[in-house]
Amino acid sequence: MNGKPRIGVYVCHCGTNIAGTVDVEEVVKFAETLPDVTVARNYSYMCSDPGQALIVDDIEKAGLNRVVVASCSPRMHEPTFRKTLLSGGLNPYFLEMANIREQCSWVHPDPIAATEKAKRLVEAAVVKSRRLEPLDAKEVDVEPSCLIIGAGIAGIQSALDIADAGFKVYLVEKEPSVGGHMIQLDKTFPTLDCSACIMTPKMVDVANHPNIELMTYSQVEEIGGYIGNFDIKVRKKSRFVDIDKCTGCGICAEECRMAGRFPNEFDENMGMRGAIYMPFPQAVPAKYTIDKESCLFLTKGKCGESPKCKDACQAGAVNFDLEDEIVEFKVGTIIVATGYDVFDARLKPEYAYGVYDNVLTALEFERLVNASGPTGGKVTMIERGKKKKKKGAEEEAPKVPESITFIQCVGSRDKSVGNEYCSRVCCMYTAKLAHLVKDKVGHDCEVTVFYMDVRAFGKGFEEFYDRVRREGVKYIRGNPSEIYKKGDKLIVKAEDTLTSTPLEHETDMVVLSVGLVPRRDNREIIDLLKLSQTSDLFYMEAHPKLRPVDTASDGVYLAGVCQGPKDIPDAVAQAKGAASAAMIPMASGKVKVEAQTSFVNEDTCRGCGFCVELCPYTAIELVEVNRMGWPVKVARVNEALCKGCGACAAACLSGSIQQRSFKDWQLLPQIEALGVK
Amino acid sequence: MVDVNKLREKAREVISREDVRELIGYRPGTYGFRARPAFVMGPDDTGELIFTPACVNNLASYIVLEEKLPVKRGEEPDLRKVAVMVKGCDSRALVQQMEEKAYDRDRILVLGIPCRGVVDMAKVQAKYPDVLEMGEIALEGDKFVLSFNGTKEEVPREELVADKCLRCRYPTPLVYDELLDEEVERFADDDFADVAELEKRAADDKWAYWEEKFSRCIRCYSCRNVCPMCYCEDCVLDRLQPQWMRRSVDISENTAYHISRAYHLAGRCIQCGECQRVCPVDIPLMELNRKFYKDVEDLYDYEPGTNVENPPLLSTFKVEDKEDFIM
Repeated sequence: MNGKPRIGVYVCHCGTNIAGTVDVEEVVKFAETLPDVTVARNYSYMCSDPGQALIVDDIEKAGLNRVVVASCSPRMHEPTFRKTLLSGGLNPYFLEMANIREQCSWVHPDPIAATEKAKRLVEAAVVKSRRLEPLDAKEVDVEPSCLIIGAGIAGIQSALDIADAGFKVYLVEKEPSVGGHMIQLDKTFPTLDCSACIMTPKMVDVANHPNIELMTYSQVEEIGGYIGNFDIKVRKKSRFVDIDKCTGCGICAEECRMAGRFPNEFDENMGMRGAIYMPFPQAVPAKYTIDKESCLFLTKGKCGESPKCKDACQAGAVNFDLEDEIVEFKVGTIIVATGYDVFDARLKPEYAYGVYDNVLTALEFERLVNASGPTGGKVTMIERGKKKKKKGAEEEAPKVPESITFIQCVGSRDKSVGNEYCSRVCCMYTAKLAHLVKDKVGHDCEVTVFYMDVRAFGKGFEEFYDRVRREGVKYIRGNPSEIYKKGDKLIVKAEDTLTSTPLEHETDMVVLSVGLVPRRDNREIIDLLKLSQTSDLFYMEAHPKLRPVDTASDGVYLAGVCQGPKDIPDAVAQAKGAASAAMIPMASGKVKVEAQTSFVNEDTCRGCGFCVELCPYTAIELVEVNRMGWPVKVARVNEALCKGCGACAAACLSGSIQQRSFKDWQLLPQIEALGVK
Repeated sequence: MVDVNKLREKAREVISREDVRELIGYRPGTYGFRARPAFVMGPDDTGELIFTPACVNNLASYIVLEEKLPVKRGEEPDLRKVAVMVKGCDSRALVQQMEEKAYDRDRILVLGIPCRGVVDMAKVQAKYPDVLEMGEIALEGDKFVLSFNGTKEEVPREELVADKCLRCRYPTPLVYDELLDEEVERFADDDFADVAELEKRAADDKWAYWEEKFSRCIRCYSCRNVCPMCYCEDCVLDRLQPQWMRRSVDISENTAYHISRAYHLAGRCIQCGECQRVCPVDIPLMELNRKFYKDVEDLYDYEPGTNVENPPLLSTFKVEDKEDFIM
């Protein structure tokens, strides 16, 4: 306490945002009558320099020790006015805000009622301010290192930026190689850069950078701690190949008894691999991995006389005794760049994906046109599940499609599958693939695109869309209702909605422009980091406009599509943003943590653990204490982790957990002031 | 029927164990058909133990309500097990208490009693108001047999059985170390027809109804004190700083008290009905608790006190939780 309360009340006009509805003069007059209110003023913009100067001046001259600002939401300007109090020499937590904009003037059209409500809100803030207590925001040291989860283009870009700035980076990737989805692509829109050509140098860089510790085929298992001091546990899955010895020569894969027997995930299951494999020739690290699910020796315990891969490896790298390795380290910040999955086209049964061989997803088609793909870049008709012909048997040359049809918005902008959002890349990648068909299959190949709208919003997008249309790609506005087979041909049933003509479009191959969806294993990261999700189930940023790379957890940032669909340049931009955001605490070396934290009355806590379960920041744990000789469990708050959300205080049945600035005895008079009189 | 000799023998065996400090069971009351809790501290105290349909009390309450006196300097706290006899319904209180980490499973020894119903003592009292000397009640088939004054009377089970037994979902204890009788299969279910009936009333009507009930409350706190789920070290209702509600007996404070209590029991009440049983002014408290119980079941498919592995309802959330009731 700092003596008898002397309260200053400042009512903001916010231009006409507040003053247009609320009679601010009257609110001020009313505030003057409230107990302990020393001064009450109104001003057009309290957050402006002169507005803040009023407060500072009054703190000095009128000896204020409490400040009530009646303006907008505290989410908007609480930090602003805290600084004002600080520059006036007052503890910043002697500030109380009354939200008379979002919760009053903006929602009540009637000036008289709005003014009455504003008075109530001001009175409630005044009575609460009398019970405010000074708080200290503690500082913690920040470990100058960053964990990046996911090594697609976003993770790689963040890693390179942070490592170049001189900080240590731990880059963890689940798959055997870095690269993510971008390295699966052939060309990138709208510039038609070769994806591999611009991606592989970065992939090599992350592997070679002295400040980056790359962990592929690895998964983050545990994250503890808080900003500046996260404790990380990573499981490096065993490849059964010693990557220090493996030279990547590939003889093992040729020798594998199971060679060519399993669909290669990297090729979207269009190509085949063996049990020991490298997902693609440019993989980083260029090391082989044994898939323990498909290896004969690891599943059956026997592979002929002895495993051929092991016999063939001159470097002696194959080692079936290798086990998963757990590594633990500390980091100061974390960037989540876990990317996306493509929409499962089976959820749109009318498009018969999985029924007809030549209905493909765009990512499958991408592998088909890719020079390093399973067909060497030749677009041919597909025969799925085809048995490998015996050596020497004559291979029939596969047929080249004479017409290819794209369907846009498969799994995007579609409430029937629960995805209301636009995936933001399909229009343009469809245009790119359409162009590649004209380029690689030949101008004679007829290309049709069924679309709802073409959203060519980015730099150079509209020009590219124009170019593709000039190349003879036919765009039909309409959402097909069904695909069925007639003879050798596929029939796409649709309506040209621009001319209201129903049509049955005959084609050899259909490519479904599938949207981007949150990763199916999203939960793993959510459970580790307690991330929130937006309604589309992508990870939620701290503020959609002003904090797009931060999360609600300090020190945890988002990059790339895991936060929402975006194309490569946007993902890279966000990755650079996340990198720079993560570098702020690392560069300053110290960070302030929340002061309005929760605390436990250990005498009355009965250790039920409701708060432990509820805490979104894993800030609370049960510890054993001695209560008059008896061992009892009570909750304890790690104040560095607590973000002051108050969930624990609301749930505590015995009222033993309280939040600073929101203690029961501080809130009750506030509630009372708002109540019926 | 539990064989009383077997029961006493088992109790003697349990209380003789070195790792058992105390056994909580039942013994005859002092008049009429009543039974009362027995706190057995040694093998010689087991001779009076019984289990009959008069054993209505939920003994789980005593485990959490026992006052822990300060341990004298140089002494160790007595952390031996407490043995407790529970019916199916009472066992759910143990489960819920353990869900809420009130104690670990190895701190209690549970003697489970599969039960086909206990009497509603108020109904017995109404039918036999003049029986003051000790009588006995037994359940034989679908009849209660009452012995008193050297006579025996048979009364159909439905006439005297407690309402909660007519909708009992868990006649056999859900947690136990030993069962004192054969398991009893589920013989009834709960359709919450009574709650549905109350829900249908108009708001004003409901208000008038509860106003009348709450106006009777004398704030004796019996309902709180008997409740197996009300065991905070320091009840918020007793606090003076801040004072959530005054102790004065008036309709406003009484209402606040009962509504707060009902909220504190949401997702926790296991429907043993003890609060209503002990109310000296007959406030139908279970009507409130059952409304919450039904809502919790409908909204979250959750039944308190049925699985120790479940985290308590209000300490969890799922993305798919219904929230259409939020205004």
